[in-house]
Amino acid sequence: MPVIAAKRTLRSHPSSPPRKSPRRCTAATPNSTPTMNRFGADENRADPEAVKPKWNPKDGEQLKRVKLALHLSTAPSSVVCREEEQNVVLEFCKGCVEHQKAGSLYICGCPGTGKSLSMEKVKDKLLNWAKEAGLPQPDVLSVNCTTFTNTSDIFTKILGLNQTQGKKVSATPLQQLQNMYSQKSSNKNMTLIVADELDYLITKDRGVLHDLFMLTTFPFSRCILIGVANAIDLADRFLPRLTSLNCKPIVVNFRAYSKDQILKILEERLNELPYTVFQQQAMELCARKVAAASGDMRNALCICGRAIEMLEAEIRESACNLNTSLEEISSSRQNLATAPDFMKKREFETVRTDHMARALSKTYRSPVVDTIQSLPHHQQIVLCSSMKHFRGAKKDTILGELYKSYVGVCKSCIIPPAGILEFSNMCRVLNDQGLIKLGQSREDKLRRVSPKVDEGDITFALQGVRFFHNCL
Amino acid sequence: MEQENYKIKAVNLLRSRICDPKFIFINESPESNHSKLKFMISSSVTEACNNSILLLGPRGSGKNAVLELVIQDLLQEYPDSISVMRLNGLLHSDDISAFKEIARQLCMEHQLLFSKAASFDDNSQFMVAMLKECGLAHKTIIFVLDEFDLFAQGKQRLLYSLLDAMQSITSQAVVLGISCRLDADQLLEKRVRSRFSHRKLLFLPPSIEDSQKLLMHMLTLPIDPSFPQDYAVEFNRKVQNIIEDRGFLETLNKYLNVDSSVKHLLRFLFCAVSRMELQTGFLSRENFEIAFSSIQRQPKLECLRNCSILELQILVCMKRLEVKEQNLCNFNSVMKEYKSTLTSERYARHVCLRAFEHLIHRELICFTDNRGQSLSVEFRPVKLLISSAELHQGLRANNSCPPKLLNLMDREG
Repeated sequence: MPVIAAKRTLRSHPSSPPRKSPRRCTAATPNSTPTMNRFGADENRADPEAVKPKWNPKDGEQLKRVKLALHLSTAPSSVVCREEEQNVVLEFCKGCVEHQKAGSLYICGCPGTGKSLSMEKVKDKLLNWAKEAGLPQPDVLSVNCTTFTNTSDIFTKILGLNQTQGKKVSATPLQQLQNMYSQKSSNKNMTLIVADELDYLITKDRGVLHDLFMLTTFPFSRCILIGVANAIDLADRFLPRLTSLNCKPIVVNFRAYSKDQILKILEERLNELPYTVFQQQAMELCARKVAAASGDMRNALCICGRAIEMLEAEIRESACNLNTSLEEISSSRQNLATAPDFMKKREFETVRTDHMARALSKTYRSPVVDTIQSLPHHQQIVLCSSMKHFRGAKKDTILGELYKSYVGVCKSCIIPPAGILEFSNMCRVLNDQGLIKLGQSREDKLRRVSPKVDEGDITFALQGVRFFHNCL
Repeated sequence: MEQENYKIKAVNLLRSRICDPKFIFINESPESNHSKLKFMISSSVTEACNNSILLLGPRGSGKNAVLELVIQDLLQEYPDSISVMRLNGLLHSDDISAFKEIARQLCMEHQLLFSKAASFDDNSQFMVAMLKECGLAHKTIIFVLDEFDLFAQGKQRLLYSLLDAMQSITSQAVVLGISCRLDADQLLEKRVRSRFSHRKLLFLPPSIEDSQKLLMHMLTLPIDPSFPQDYAVEFNRKVQNIIEDRGFLETLNKYLNVDSSVKHLLRFLFCAVSRMELQTGFLSRENFEIAFSSIQRQPKLECLRNCSILELQILVCMKRLEVKEQNLCNFNSVMKEYKSTLTSERYARHVCLRAFEHLIHRELICFTDNRGQSLSVEFRPVKLLISSAELHQGLRANNSCPPKLLNLMDREG
């Protein structure tokens, strides 16, 4: 039985201390940017070859450490490329704690841009700063709004932090909080509330979200509210009254990662390892593709993990080929001298651009073309008929009309058409896979049909079949 | 007596093979989906990392069967390190019942007491806590979400909680979504899609050559002491001859051109094997031809075969009205056509109305709109639901159809 990795030991006690790369200056003038990039690229290219050896993909221990460094759950010790945003939030919280006044902040950005991770770092830094400065430590409440069955539960959670004040059973948690913040109390601690996935609190009347941000406007309020969500205009669209009441939250935008930032984060994670895993061009290809597609750091880490798996699969195949060639060598001894060179050449490979290209294509390619090419013959004819039928101004039709078009295509190609029952079964199969869309009707013939796959995809998938040359 | 025994045993063996996914989908080739899926999940188990995989393919292509085979293999290799939680989108499509079902299966797996009164918050926190405990104990929880696209409706709280918990360090889980929608990952909300790892396994129907290999694999008897040697050899030789026959290949292609999924092929085999002659104990081409005819049915033609003569006359009159560019008609216009066409042997009006209502119940004709329920049947517009070719075949297939009606239909056609 293979040994399962000791997950806890590996993560809590890395054998080698983390090694940081020289941090490049982010505040650069546009004129000096090309020079800086060229210099940085030269340094990165020269540095691994001089300092680090290449890794051994066959070593199980090294493989585990590489995959661990690239996994989503491994939080780095410092969040790279988000220092500016963290400083803005940290200075805001410091000001609130120092002056004992409430405030609200809204953090927005696409998924995978490091919002929640940065908030974790800001919390730790704030607590350390308060301890060093001798100020009372703020209470911290982190909530994820997806876990609430009722949107009003967030007030129950906030109230739970101040359990001694919760004596009044008759009032709702919101009213209790409003009463508490309307009068002076002996408790001097500030409360930091980080509400993740804030848009789950949006209701039809927007009451919960409005009341939540209004809590910071009470005269004796002591809460610092940080909302995290994806929409940039959430405060403007769902909280327009806050602007007139002069308590609109400050907005901090986490922009999608650029190519340089993705490359820097990947290098930061891999620099903690004592060997080189990726070629520089492969990492550059991954960073450019992900930055062009979504700017999502989770995508970049997953694609690097899959590229390593491509290398693993290639090594397994070459091991099989090596066994075969060794059998050939045993039968004919002429090639005996070349076997050690062959084995030596295959070892210590890095992840190359072709591994990365295959991993990228697996992630981003749509399975529609493969599925259309593997459909049975009559289903391909149905798709072809629907494409011809919808070419023009038509947006949808009924199943009976599509069947007439299908019978026409079959007659022109001199093959017997399927019956109406089989035709509707085929349309149901295509609807299940998402290639066409079937409406609901009591009678089969009167169901509405509309296309869901682009015409170019159907043309591209069927152009290799000689049968469809005349139809397309 | 022993002769009949081994022939019956042969039929039972072939039928049990058709119903056994292990016999169909075991494929040790590295390129097969079985090997790929097994490698992905066992890597997650041995290397203690989280993973999420989507299995996509049309219905009947073996997604669930291959996954069950892989899970059985892994439970044998790692008996103490894997727990499997199974959810179905048809049964647990709302988040509350899904979390409750996860809590129930976790309690059953680890001999804990399950409380039906636990709330949504309790169940979701329990799941996160159990993921942490299993991660610390180096145990992997495999979540199988069948009908994955049904979980992607609504607010997707279950998917978000699962995939978000998998981002933490201590949990150790694999989420497997099974769906027939190719765009299942497009249905996900953007924050759920960001946390999903976009690994997809595509289950495509087999090609014609692979289907023929599967046929040979399914229908050959083993050469071992369970069957007489000469009988098994002769049986396999006859099966080989059937499969290589050109007529059989044409029938098979005709059958698979409509739907080439594995389940569709197995239904064909089951019908053919069930009709094997127990006198001779061998399969023949006629078994496959009869299976093909019985599967390829036209229910509207069978419905027409059982119609009375008056009902056929009404249908022919409606077809004549349709040919005259009258797409909508009602009972009165049909009666007018009926009187002008058939000059002899006419039935009374109320008898024709009863036949008309019978056709509506059989759904050979239907009302074109649901409004006007208060109107009498005679005045509501109706529409013919069979095509001209179907009516033509139905008239010819009906034994009691008078030749005059057939001539009338031929003249119009």
